[in-house]
Amino acid sequence: MPEIMESSGKPFKQRKSFAVRKDEVAGIRDKFPAKVPVIVERYHKEKNLPLLDKTKFLVPQEISMSQFTTIIRNRMSLNANRAFYLIVNNKSISSMSMTLAEVYRDEKDDDGFLYMTYASQEMFGSC
Amino acid sequence: MVTRYIENTVIHESYADHRAAPAVAACPNMTTLTYECGPASYVEFPRTEEPVYILGEKYSTLYDLDELKQDIKSRLWFTYRKNFPSIGGVNGPGSDTGWGCMLRCGQMLVAQALVTRHLGREWRWDSKRKDEIYMKILKMFQDKKGSYYSIHQIASMGVSEGKPVGQWFGPNTVAQVLKKLVVYDEWSSLVIHVAMDNTVIENDIRCLCKCKQKDVEMNGDFVLDHIGKVRGAEGSGSPDSNCYGNLQAKFRWRKVDSSKWKPLLLVIPLRLGLTEINSVYVDGLKSCLSFPQTVGIIGGKPNHAHWFIGYIGDQLIYLDPHTQQMTVDLDDPSVSDESFHCYYPCRMSVYDLDPSIAVGFYCGTEEEFDDLCVTIQKFIIKSSRTPMFELYKERPPHWPPFEAYSPGATNFTGYVMTDVPQFDTDEEFELL
Repeated sequence: MPEIMESSGKPFKQRKSFAVRKDEVAGIRDKFPAKVPVIVERYHKEKNLPLLDKTKFLVPQEISMSQFTTIIRNRMSLNANRAFYLIVNNKSISSMSMTLAEVYRDEKDDDGFLYMTYASQEMFGSC
Repeated sequence: MVTRYIENTVIHESYADHRAAPAVAACPNMTTLTYECGPASYVEFPRTEEPVYILGEKYSTLYDLDELKQDIKSRLWFTYRKNFPSIGGVNGPGSDTGWGCMLRCGQMLVAQALVTRHLGREWRWDSKRKDEIYMKILKMFQDKKGSYYSIHQIASMGVSEGKPVGQWFGPNTVAQVLKKLVVYDEWSSLVIHVAMDNTVIENDIRCLCKCKQKDVEMNGDFVLDHIGKVRGAEGSGSPDSNCYGNLQAKFRWRKVDSSKWKPLLLVIPLRLGLTEINSVYVDGLKSCLSFPQTVGIIGGKPNHAHWFIGYIGDQLIYLDPHTQQMTVDLDDPSVSDESFHCYYPCRMSVYDLDPSIAVGFYCGTEEEFDDLCVTIQKFIIKSSRTPMFELYKERPPHWPPFEAYSPGATNFTGYVMTDVPQFDTDEEFELL
């Protein structure tokens, strides 16, 4: 069942109801209190970066945003010179010293997940 | 948004049209129209107490409008051109209209760094006089495959960034390409550092600018086989030392000593939002354009690249490459260089900016770089809860070691995690 929903291409939030998502967070927080639940999705207009094989991550709360970015870059085998941005609530989280716990505290959704969108840069031209 | 550009569209087939009365194009194919502002849509700067910043210089529209305009007019303006020798063989494009706007903006950014490096920020263009050093800089950008920073070189080098000739570039794409091209311009001895992941590492830059010349090995045989050799081509000779020396004495940039510090162009590609710019970055963005080290910002409106050179209030001031001009041969002494200067800068609301940009700074000496670091700390990082980018002394331990770009070397590119946690799965969760 999850696979079918995955392939429909809908964002995670639209695949499950608020109540279901909230329950899921409660369950996983209970089981792994030191980890934060993060949803990482590709920007729907993104054409240059590959899709990740997973969207749901349980991340140790003490790791920094920079470390997390590196982990995601690695998973996509992305060249270090390729543009890659993790965007949380329309902000490019730039502080590499900021921990996931801090970002989670400031930016988490009402359902308890922290949502991140990844994108490269737009291309410019007009034909 | 797109509709609005089309409605405002005027197209100028030649520079003469552009400066006189532009005709509204009766173009059969609406999709080829480009937005631009020329004299028809030019709106004079508002007379206001509010300061105008142009590439780090502060002006008042009440008291120094002429100086302000003279400054803008002195910048090198690169636009779409047609009828140039085709790129990459006879079947390649002979015009960059419709695809080259970000490449042209990249040219303007690096040209500003080179003008500052060789002539100084105070230098002003005089249409009646062809200053030798100025002409030498300008010729490095003309539409010939042998010119270091030509559209030919940029488009062809784009192939190494996964962009076939004629494809659209982003700000980072053009920065990466320019970083590779700059090593062949020995006269300028400029280095370009592109700071990725919103992070500027001071030590990487000091290492890059202070390491010995031999570390960046020049290999004439390696140069771009697919488009022919660059070295030995026009515009690449050694500088006229007398002329250079005389001019050098006049300006404060005489301190440039590339044996101590290679002049640096720092480019920081950013994404300040997903579909539109997040307003939390607006103050930081504007302050970048007020720093003395700024060489502007490349970015644009969606699909339309611009080179941003300053601001007044919440309006950004930019030069627009979306004017098609005929290619001119600068090696012909009778040819005018006027088409490389823009009399009509454009303005737009900072809130209409596409979030994908790259910010540029030029530091001719280590002192200028030290000063830039202090300024960034003060005005970008400490003044905002959400800075546009970060500045760190050292590389974070989980990043791979810094390696400067050098042609010929198989550049290390991927990240390697030495301590990757083992992944295991809890239902569909990926456990890190």
